[in-house]
Formats: sequence, structure tokens, C-alpha cells
Amino acid sequence: MGRIIDRLLQLGPVLLGVTVIVFLMITLTPGDPVEIMLGDMKSSPEQAEVLRRDMGLDRPPVERFFRFVGNALQGNFGLSFFHRRPVSEVIAERLPATIELTLAALLLSLLISIPLGALAAVHKGGWLDRTATVGSLLGVSLPGFWFGILLIMLFSVQLGVLPVSGRIGYGYEVPAVTGLLTIDTLLAGRLDSFLQALRHLALPAITLALPMAAPLMRVTRASMLDVLRSDYVTFAEAKGLSRRRVLWRHALKNALMPTVTIAALETGSLLGGNMIVESVFGWPGLGRLVVESIFARNYPLVQAAVLLYAVTYVLLNFIADVAYTLLNPRVRL
Amino acid sequence: MNRLSLVGAVVAGLLAGSASAADLRVGFSQDALTLDPANHRKRETETIIRNLCDGLLTRDSAMNIVPEVAESYKQIDAKTWELKLRKGVKFHSGAVLTADDVKFTLDRLTRDNAMGGQTSPRKDLLGPVSGVDVIDPQTVRIRLSSPWPILPAMLPFQELVRKGFVEKAGSAALATQVDCVGPFKLVEWRRGDSIIMERFADYYGGSPAIPPVGPARVNRVVFRIIPENASRVAALLAGEVDLVNELPVSAIKQVDGSGRAKVMKANGTRSFFVAMNLDKKPFDDPRVRKALNHAIDRKLIIDRVLSGTAVPLNGVLSPQAFGFNPDLAEYKYDPVLAKKLLAEAGYGSGLALTIDAEGAFKDVAEAVASMLQRAGVKATVQVWEGAVLTPLWRDPAKRKDRDLYFTSWGNGSLDPSDIMLPTLRTGGRGNSAGFSSARVDQLLDAAEVELDPAKRKAMYFEAQSIVNAAAPWIFLWLPQDLYGVSNRVTGWTPSPDSRINLHRAAIK
Amino acid sequence: MSAATDVAGTAIAARSPAAEGFARFLENRLAVACALVVLAMVLLAIGAPWFAPHDPNETDLLRRLQPPVWLDGGEWAFPLGCDALGRDLLSRLIHGARVSISVGTVVILFATVVGIAAGLLAGYLRGWVDTVISRIVDILLGFPYLIFAIGLMAMMGPGLHNVAITLIAKEWVVPCRLVRGETLAAREMEYVEAARAIGVGPFGIMIREILPNILSPVIVVATIRLAHVIILEASLSFLGLGVQPPIASWGSMVADGREFMLDAWWVSTFAGLAILVLVLAINVASQGLRDAFDPRFHD
Repeated sequence: MGRIIDRLLQLGPVLLGVTVIVFLMITLTPGDPVEIMLGDMKSSPEQAEVLRRDMGLDRPPVERFFRFVGNALQGNFGLSFFHRRPVSEVIAERLPATIELTLAALLLSLLISIPLGALAAVHKGGWLDRTATVGSLLGVSLPGFWFGILLIMLFSVQLGVLPVSGRIGYGYEVPAVTGLLTIDTLLAGRLDSFLQALRHLALPAITLALPMAAPLMRVTRASMLDVLRSDYVTFAEAKGLSRRRVLWRHALKNALMPTVTIAALETGSLLGGNMIVESVFGWPGLGRLVVESIFARNYPLVQAAVLLYAVTYVLLNFIADVAYTLLNPRVRL
Repeated sequence: MNRLSLVGAVVAGLLAGSASAADLRVGFSQDALTLDPANHRKRETETIIRNLCDGLLTRDSAMNIVPEVAESYKQIDAKTWELKLRKGVKFHSGAVLTADDVKFTLDRLTRDNAMGGQTSPRKDLLGPVSGVDVIDPQTVRIRLSSPWPILPAMLPFQELVRKGFVEKAGSAALATQVDCVGPFKLVEWRRGDSIIMERFADYYGGSPAIPPVGPARVNRVVFRIIPENASRVAALLAGEVDLVNELPVSAIKQVDGSGRAKVMKANGTRSFFVAMNLDKKPFDDPRVRKALNHAIDRKLIIDRVLSGTAVPLNGVLSPQAFGFNPDLAEYKYDPVLAKKLLAEAGYGSGLALTIDAEGAFKDVAEAVASMLQRAGVKATVQVWEGAVLTPLWRDPAKRKDRDLYFTSWGNGSLDPSDIMLPTLRTGGRGNSAGFSSARVDQLLDAAEVELDPAKRKAMYFEAQSIVNAAAPWIFLWLPQDLYGVSNRVTGWTPSPDSRINLHRAAIK
Repeated sequence: MSAATDVAGTAIAARSPAAEGFARFLENRLAVACALVVLAMVLLAIGAPWFAPHDPNETDLLRRLQPPVWLDGGEWAFPLGCDALGRDLLSRLIHGARVSISVGTVVILFATVVGIAAGLLAGYLRGWVDTVISRIVDILLGFPYLIFAIGLMAMMGPGLHNVAITLIAKEWVVPCRLVRGETLAAREMEYVEAARAIGVGPFGIMIREILPNILSPVIVVATIRLAHVIILEASLSFLGLGVQPPIASWGSMVADGREFMLDAWWVSTFAGLAILVLVLAINVASQGLRDAFDPRFHD
């Protein structure tokens, strides 16, 4: 119980600190959103003034900071400068795509890393072990932006089997329930749409999953080795339980603890890092929107997004703690 | 869905992204910011909206101004214009358009706080419009606070909305919902991914000046948002889209040689130039300025780096703009002359200059720099973020230590007022060089309110000559807009104002 | 266990754990091979002006997008082809190694030093020092990397120095957390108690007693992170926030060539391969290091 409270208390200063940093960066960063918005179409100084007032940029930074915090606590994150609609609306529209991609990548990397890691540990030193190790090192060494482009060139242009970009072909009806296309299409029983969604998800999820699968595999392997060597496994074997049962019932469950912990943490960094993948694959997610917003100096959106990421990071840490407890009842929360 | 058709659908779905024969898919570089015609300032957003919403006037692909929802227009006096509206123009919801809707649209654009408390960011595009009067259900009069000969040139930038709809649903609803008079109506907007439109059967037909008149010839139009250049081209080559905008120069060979698509070009409206900081030595010396102009082999850069898809310029105007002066002197490529001029001015060796440029133009700026190097100038390129570089060069105080600025300015209305005022008038917003000529200012100001087109033209001619002789910039070129178009598409040609109007496009 | 305790004397001369680990490392032939590859690249980078056949910044528009020698239109003088401005790709790749390796090394060095200092202070002194440092670490970790980097670069402007500063600002938390954890464990150990008993001050304990004993995992992590940092620098350069032209970074070369992937694929591909090879070699070598020094892997 103490740990829960501890974690939640941690949320406060982290959020505040993150907000302060963002505000400082914004204030110190050159670039004027009003100028960007005016572009080079006909404009007058009056128009610039009107826009500046609309965006709240005619107030001093300190006042803007407190105004922002005050509004944020009530759930109001202001209007996006360029969409001229509430930031929360704009973010909420783009969030499901990022969540879906992240979850798909997470699932994929777990599916790859856990069996591989466990098998590599069991057959330590064998060819599977060595191949898996080199493979995982390869996964972590690939620059995502380059690899993504290569995948598109190969599968979409040369072979033509997978689509180039987007989430789903336009001709498919998508009843929105969760915003995650794969789940929504399944819920509605639309198999063809589901397959389309999967096809579009494939390449970006693979590009995102590979760098994550690598450390997960190594951690699974390492902790599996630990567990295999441990006393209670030897004890279980001595009791006469079949090796297979020992492995897959007892050893794996305990070996998974560090894997789950690291997976939760890596997901946090995934959210922060999938911007490049989203850009390369034209995935309409939040990451791409945030990068565009930074370049366009769309302050309200950047501020809100950073807060969102910070909250997610702390929550994921929290989940990692809870999962750790659940998988090992000996550790008290 | 019975089992057989389900299997068929699955197989078909697995094999390729399906495309019904009467659907046109556009691979587009940016999502619309909003669907409210009055609440944005982005050309790409307008391109999308223009398929859903028509305006009073529009332009054909030769950039002539033609009536659209308006049937005719005339000038009553120096400060009043009258427009007659067509009869029987229907909104997507079925309501009929009247003068009240026109007044409402224009008021919404030009009055402060008229958009549910917000003021339209497009207000100044209608400059001195001071009021709109409804004369009868088919006639409106627009009143101006001062004479403005370019009102017809600026009206094509605005699209009409329905008064009843906005009053009922609220101004903010227009951001995501559309009830307009355009050839297509909105089916779905999947943010960041695509915008799906379908043919509006009761469309009034469109401008009679641009045949064929009638409802759209395709069933559906889909704008697929693909910001990555290479992905957009890949989508075209893979047959996933039928039309792409902003085709990169490097893809020309590929697309033309693909057998399923071709490249279509239109003269753009964005003039490129390198502004020199006239307030700083050595740019105060006209010999240096002329030398730098003579040092650049524009033809080579256009041929090699831009694959021939640009028109060299000796001034700021596009050859298709009103009042373009074709007799401006060309600063011929002559590195020997350049070196001579520099030596005369006392900068024979060791002149070190930096060209500021945005990342997107790094390559071309470096090509320019390498040519300056061959003329003996130690030129380097410094790449900046657009958001930082633009305000830097617009502020005389901030730019006082900078040298050269590789930049451009757009002229969507193809009228000199729109581009010469900001870039060449003293104190203009885009006058990064700090150019100042009393005579040019006088000419530009007079031309703003001059109603006789012949006199206006003469004024602009003279202004361009003065600028050309003074050479405040290294004059560069006007790039063409490149589009990749599938062979399935007919009835569409690109337009210099970047519009992609699909009303008359058809799929073979 | 420091080498000092071995002096207690045994008939057989025992090697220090460091030397033991190193010997084990040398037995791993793959890891050694990769370490040599890294060394080779470092030497190439240092000697770039001599190894590169051409001036990497010399443009020649007539050679624009010339293919590599084994394709139609290529020539031996420009074996890997030319980029969009006609510059020799091979020379740019060799000079690009300088950027990647120097930025990576500088960032890891500074980040490790700062991280060690912060980690020692937080772990040993505890109290409010620990709270402050841990909060800062938490806040920095909660900030998504790319947004932080882009934001900082937007603030400071592009350029290699600013890239290095940005990367250091995020990277130091990694060694800091590790060192803090190790310090927390180490401060309860006997040798620390002993040192305290004879009156060694806190800084003396941190630097002379604890630090040498936690150095090896720190070094292993540093080498692993080096690979990561090199990719991060490439990503930033890819986004246009890194090096200034005409300097080439492998990341910026991939970005420059992205447009031409469909027909002039060589501009991006070789640069991406270079990143892959260097990073892979570092990863394999550092994996070998970890295996050699980690007590779990030997019985």
C-alpha cells in the first residue's frame, strides 16, 4: 500500500517539473507561431495582433504559465494554435492510433522475445542461443528510420504485398468503439476490414518491435538461466516432475518478472520514440502530430502532449511494480 | 454477407487495396487543419475544402478569374462591387443558397469576433471590405473602405457556408462538419489518415466558364494523407493512389517510366531568390550585388538539381502574373565578370559569406554556395529551422549580422500587389533585404488603388525595372509544381494556385 | 573485491578480477573480432583526411547521383557513387565516421562522469541530496526523448555541439541510476565501514573506496549505451537537427538520400549500413565484455 501511495505522490512533482521544463523551453526557443500562421499570404499588422491575442501570446510568460497550470488542473488545455480547436480534442483524435501501434509492437516483441529467450537459455551455448543473441543485437543496432524505409521499398514497392501507409484502406467501414481498428473491426465481425487493418499495421509494428525485442530477449534469457540454476528447480526435478513441466510451469513464470518490468519501462520509451516510425509510415498517430507541432511552435499542443507522456511514464512504472508483485507473491507491494 | 462473398471479400482484401472503378484517390502531403473555410491560413487545407465548398468566384487552369456561384459581377463605383448570384444553387443538406448566406459568409470573415468569439484569421485577405448589403435574394453589394481593384482576384480564396447551419450547430461545428455547395460532400474525416468525399448529386453544375458543367464524374474522392515524399511516390507507383501532389523532382524519371502514371507540371506561384542584407557591408555596394548575380549559373542548377522544372526569373513576378515585365535585364552567368566586379569593389579575395536556408532547400542552397565559391567567395550554408529563420530575417534588428537568405515568397493571386508589397516595399513584412526605394514605394502605393488596368500595369513595369537594376537579391527562379497522375485519370490538369479541383476529373 | 584483498597471499598467484575478466573476453573470438572492427573504424575516422579519396565537400553537379562502380554509369574513381550534389559518397562516409564516433564518445564520456558523480552523491549521502537528484532523474525520464531533444535543439539552434549537449542532458541519468543502486549496496559493506572507522571523509570514501568497485558494470553499460547514442545522433541528424552542411553525418546522409530511395538508393543505403555495422560491432563487443565480467555466466 505504501508503494502505491509513494508512486502516486511521485506523480505530482514529476508533472510539475515536466511542465516547468516545457515552459522554459518554449519561452527560450526562438520562433513565432503568429508569423508561422500568417505565412506569406496577404496580411496586416492588425491581423497579427488579433492572432496574437487569440493565442494568448500577448501576455507575459509567467502569467501564461499560471494560467496554463490553472486551466490544466480543470482539464482544459487550451486551443491548438493551428487547428483552432481544443487541444484535448485534437490529441484524443490521434491518440488511439498511437496506442494501437504501441500495443501491437509490444505484443509482437513479447511474442518474439519470450519464447526465443527461454529456448536460448534452455539450450545455452547451442546454435539457437548464438543465433538469437546475434539476432537480438542486430535488432537493436538497426536505425529505425532507415530500416523502415527499406521495408517499404521491399514489401510495398518491389513486392507490392503490403500497403505503403495509413491505417486501413478507405473503402472499409470502421465502427468506432475503442478507436483501435483491429479490435473494433473484430467486435463488429468485419473480417475483411480486420485483415486490412492488420496489413497496414504490419510494417510499422515490426519496425517498432525489433529494437524492443532485443533487450527483452536477453533479459528473459538471463533470468531464465538464473531460475534454471536455482534451488527450487533442482528440488522440483528431484521430486520427479518432468523437465518440461518444471520448465514451463515454474521456471518461466518466475523468469518473466524482469521481462515484464522491462517491457513496461520500454513501452514508456516507445511512446516517446515512435515519432520517427509514425512519420516514415504515415501512421496518423500522436507522435507525428507532436513533432509537427514543435516545428510549428504549436505550444498548447506540445505542452499537453508532454504532460500526457509524463503521466503515462509514471503509470507504466507503477504497472511494472504491480505486475512484479503479482508474478511473485513473495514480494509485498 | 453470405459465406461465399465473405471468402471472396477476404481474398480480394488480401490481394490488394480495393478501388472501385469510379473512385479517385489523391495522395496528399498534408492533412486539413480544419474544414471551416474561414478558420485557417493553409493552402493545403484550402485545396481540400475547395472540393467540398464552392466560392463566389474561382479561377480556371489558366488562372483567369471566372464566376462560380456568382453569375456575374460588376463594379458600381470605386468602393462598391455588385454580384448577382445564380438561382437554384443547393447546399448538401438540400437548402437553397440565397444572398443571406453570402452576406453571412463575408461578415463572418471580416467582422471581429464573428466566429463564436474568434476573429477569422483570413480577415485581412479581404482587406478593405467594410460591409455587405443584400439587395435582393440573388444580389449582394460589397462595400469597401477604400478602392481595391484586386477584390475579384481575392474572392476566389473564400468559400461559402450556410447561415442556417452555422446558426444552429454553432461556429465551432464547421471545423469538422460541412454543409456547402461544392461538387462533393463529406463522408468521413479520419484525422491524419484520409478525407472521404462522395459525389453530390444535386450540385448546381459549377462554373459555366469551365466545361463540362454538371455533377462530379467520379463517385468518390479520397484524400489520403501521406506526408513522406518517398511513400507518396511509392503509393502512386503501387497503384494505391491516382494522383499525388508535391512530387519530388527526383521521382520524375521513375513516374514517367513506370507505364502507369505520368508527371504533370504547372507553373508554380512561389518565386525563389537570395536576399542580401543591404544594411551590411559589402552588400551596400551595387558592384558586389551584381557580381553575386553574375556568379550563379541558374541554368545549370535548374537543369541538374531541379531536372529542368523551373523558370529563371529576373525579378519577383511569375511570367503569368498580371503586370509581368518581360524586358527585365538578365544577369548572365559570367564568373570572370563576377570576379572583376568583386575586385573593383575591393573584395577581390577572402570575402566570406553565409547563406541561411531552411533544411528543405539545403541541396539547392549548397549548389548556389558552390558556385559563389568558384567566383572566389568563401560561401557556406547554414541550415535553420523554418520557425526560427523566418522571424529572424523579418526583423531588421535580428538580421543585422546575417549575410544572405535563401528564401521564397508565394503569390497565389498572381497579382503583383500580393507579392511586391510585402517583399519590396520599404518595411514590408517579407522585405528581408531591407530594400528601400522611394520611387518604388510611390508606384506600389499608387497601383494599390488604381482602377485602370493599363495604368496599373505601367506602374508595376517601372517598379520591376528599378528593382532589377538595383539587384537587392540574387534573382533565382520559379519552380513548377509537379504532380504524379495515374493514366486512369482524365479531365484534370494542374493549376498554378495548387488547387486540386476534382469536379471534372474522371476515371477511365 | 578490490585487488588489495588478494595480497593476503596464496601460494598460487591469483590474478585480479579485472585481468581475469579480460582474459575471458579474449576467448570470445566474435567479440574480439567486433572490437577490432570498432578499432578499425576509429582509426579510419581519425585518419579520414588521408584515407578519403576525395574532398567530401567538393560538389560537381555533373556527377549528381552517379551510381556506384558496379552499376551502369559508375566509375572506379567514385566507387560508391555520388550524392545529390555530386560529392563522393565514400569520402563522405569516411568523414562521417568522425562525426558519429566523436559525438558518441564525447557524449558517453561526459554523461558517465556526470552520472557517476550524481549517483555517488545520491547513493552515499542520501537525505535531501538523494531526493533532489532522484526527482530530477524522474522528471528527465518522464520526458519523451525525441520531444526533449527537438525542443532543446530548437532552443539552442542546430550544430554538433548542441547535439552533444542535448544527448548528454538526457543520457547521464542512465549511469546515475546504476551508480546510485550500486552505491546504496556498497555503503553497507565492510570495507566502507572500515574506512569510515579510520576517519576517511565522505568524499574520500566515495572516490577511493566505492568507485573502483562499481566501475566495471558502469563501463559495460557505457559501452552498451555508446551504440544507442550513435543511433540517437543519427536520428537527430536525420530530422535535420544535427550537423550543419557541408559536414556529413551518417544520419543526415540517410535523410538526404531518402528522396532518391526509389532510383538512387545508394545515397541512403550505404550510410545506413555504416551505422548498422558500427553499432552492431559495438554491441557484440560490449555484450562480450558483459559476459566476461558478469559472474552469472561463468561457473
